[in-house]
Amino acid sequence: MDKAKSLVDKKGASGPFHVNNVQSPRGLNGLVVVAANGSCSTSNALGLSTGPGSSSSSSSSSTFEMHHLHRGEEKDCNGSPAKRSRLRRRTESVKRNRPPFPWFGMDIGGTLVKLVYFEPVDITAEEEQEEVENLKSIRRYLTSNVAYGKTGVRDVHLELRNLTMCGRTGNLHFIRFPTQAMPRFIQMGRDKNFSSLHTTLCATGGGAYKFENDFRTMADLELLKLDELDCLIRGLLFIDRVGFNGHPECYYFQNPSDPQSCVKKPCNLDNHFPMLLVNIGSGVSILAVYSENNYKRVTGTSLGGGTFLGLCCLLTGCETFEEALEMASKGDSTNVDKLVKDIYGGDYERFGLQGSAVASSFGHMMCKEKRDSIRKEDLARATLITITNNIGSIARMCAVNEKIERVVFVGNFLRINTVSTKLLAYAMDFWSKGQLRALFLEHEGYFGAVGALTELLKTSEDL
Amino acid sequence: EKLKKSFPWFGMDIGGTLVKLVYFEPKDITAEEEQEEVENLRSIRHYLTSNTAYGTTGIRDVHLEMKDLTLCGRTGNLHFIRFPTHDLPVFMQMGRNKHFSSLHTTLCATGGGAYKFESDFRTMADLELHKLDELDCLVRGVLYIDSVLTSGPSECYYFENPSDLDHCAQKPYTLENHYPLLLVNIGSGVSILAVYSENNYKRVTGTSLGGGTFLGLCCLLTGCSTFEEALEMASQGESTHVDKLVRDIYGGDYERFGLPGWTVASSLFCDGFHMMFKEKRESVSKEDLARATLVTITNNIGSITRMCALNENIERVVFVGNFLRVNILSMKLLAYAMDYWSKGQLKALFLRHEGYFGAVGALLGLLHPS
Repeated sequence: MDKAKSLVDKKGASGPFHVNNVQSPRGLNGLVVVAANGSCSTSNALGLSTGPGSSSSSSSSSTFEMHHLHRGEEKDCNGSPAKRSRLRRRTESVKRNRPPFPWFGMDIGGTLVKLVYFEPVDITAEEEQEEVENLKSIRRYLTSNVAYGKTGVRDVHLELRNLTMCGRTGNLHFIRFPTQAMPRFIQMGRDKNFSSLHTTLCATGGGAYKFENDFRTMADLELLKLDELDCLIRGLLFIDRVGFNGHPECYYFQNPSDPQSCVKKPCNLDNHFPMLLVNIGSGVSILAVYSENNYKRVTGTSLGGGTFLGLCCLLTGCETFEEALEMASKGDSTNVDKLVKDIYGGDYERFGLQGSAVASSFGHMMCKEKRDSIRKEDLARATLITITNNIGSIARMCAVNEKIERVVFVGNFLRINTVSTKLLAYAMDFWSKGQLRALFLEHEGYFGAVGALTELLKTSEDL
Repeated sequence: EKLKKSFPWFGMDIGGTLVKLVYFEPKDITAEEEQEEVENLRSIRHYLTSNTAYGTTGIRDVHLEMKDLTLCGRTGNLHFIRFPTHDLPVFMQMGRNKHFSSLHTTLCATGGGAYKFESDFRTMADLELHKLDELDCLVRGVLYIDSVLTSGPSECYYFENPSDLDHCAQKPYTLENHYPLLLVNIGSGVSILAVYSENNYKRVTGTSLGGGTFLGLCCLLTGCSTFEEALEMASQGESTHVDKLVRDIYGGDYERFGLPGWTVASSLFCDGFHMMFKEKRESVSKEDLARATLVTITNNIGSITRMCALNENIERVVFVGNFLRVNILSMKLLAYAMDYWSKGQLKALFLRHEGYFGAVGALLGLLHPS
């Protein structure tokens, strides 16, 4: 806070800092604080909420953070020609309201960290010459590998190519690693001297709060914390707008009730609103989205992807999400679940419950003979079905109550999980007698991270 | 179809896990009547009322007995008996051995099993079941039992100060102006009904994550084999060892949406620190797992119920069903959840006769067919 004060106290452009009062494209008044290193950010010190859902109480983005300033350090304006041209470039960058590279958006969830990285491909020879070593090294490391350490993965198939963001052209990369490996990540940031790059690290998800201190103490990095649901919506709308390398981002299933003719079809989230957004991560959040800046969290459930994986690990001894899904694909849950026909001997017609509907999940497992006769694969399948159907049921109730017909499912529970995806499509269609439609998005669990990135770049006119 | 209302008077609810049987024992038998009473009828009455356990798994819940009840002009005691649906063949065999079919009385039955086992009753015991819908019977049974004036404890109760799980007290409640009420029946699975009047109700929704799920999962995770064992373990466990709380993800509260740190963000959660890694998995006890399962199932029901109450605009929620039998932990959790998440608007109510209302409704179906 002392830093903020000292900033504002400085007068004119003669000092290393100057303060502009700008009208951003979004019509928001705020102080834009420009530091000599070229980074800039918008102050919400006036207490204006800038994000969606602004009618609710405290918004995390209303906290102004001098994230880009190193404690006590001030950049020297004088110096070598290289330094001066760096400064010039940054000033030009500032004129276009561009933050310095690297550009990241990070979403630290309960199970996974999602990282989006913008790799500029329009770097001029001059820029390249001036580029500091660690920035170059970061770029090379990220783009020349598809795996990082033991658990980091770059989803190459999701890469968005030749995207224009904030006046620069580049590729958007999608990287994930378990939250459990966060200390290693922070360590890497320290080793690569990330903090010297004076770039803002925009982070969302619970981990942005939980690991805030660790970033500070271990890597001298200040996170700009953003609300996860704000970022989710912003990220989703952004990706839908720019498209997936010329293809639609959004898809649905035609004939979901018929396994023979069930087929994936692209669609546009054209008249987006209103939509019910169901984010299935470790847990589940369900949002009713009426417009870009107007949404509410309807409800949530704690039985999410984390439950599926946790239960599977306990019941089958598997250790990864991929293993759990593999097992589930080979199992038969009807050996584990008690169906309506197991209780009624057929359909429960009076209330429209088919014999094949599950009456009691895991209901057969109280019986020893049944326990002894099922396989791990059956248990994995039953776990998947149970969690998925529960989410579908809750989502449907919300859709009915909010009077919304479009239900968009996102989140990494659906990653490589066609069983759940199709089941959700089927459930929405069947139980609503065709009134509701389930929609899915290719970039599944990355929207929070994308939203964090767009927040970093938000002063740009290109957005 | 003319129902034969001679003794014995039974109401039977054959559920997915348990058979619930109510038996009316007449106490106003005249000397003449006694003399004419056929042997097997006397034998049945004697067998049922002089035992509290039947075979290896049948149990009569004596504490639920309703004494000096007047039904259809007769005075007597209403008995509440249960046994696993798994042992229905034994029951049918008994019916055959005691020549139940010769008694020329109608056997009113509800629940899925009334349909599933209909032909077995016919072939094994020469008995024709009169089938009634389980939700009709449930509603009927609830309204009847609540209306009976007894000198005993109040049928309906709630928990005062549900936010304090250790000190919240059970208090009687008069369900006078019944309607509308949300009736949540937690058996093997769950049905949620909106009841507007005695003859006007609808099934709002249901969930397959019910008592059967709790028991099934517990058996798998802990090796226990009965409901009572599972509950015992759960009472000793600590679910926060297993669940991922909002606090674990956020390092505190998720204030923006009013989610306190102790809220469970992901049940039976696994992340690198938890179930995915063998070391952690092995450090969690069976009791913790039982607890987490109980809490997960209960909270899920609570959450769905709350949504229904909100949408149906109903403030009173009555929870019934044998999942709540001897399960005060779930009752308190439900009471707490209703109160907390609705900021005091919703009240969770419970009924002493828990899972027997379907059977009572079936008995009424015999005596007062509508």
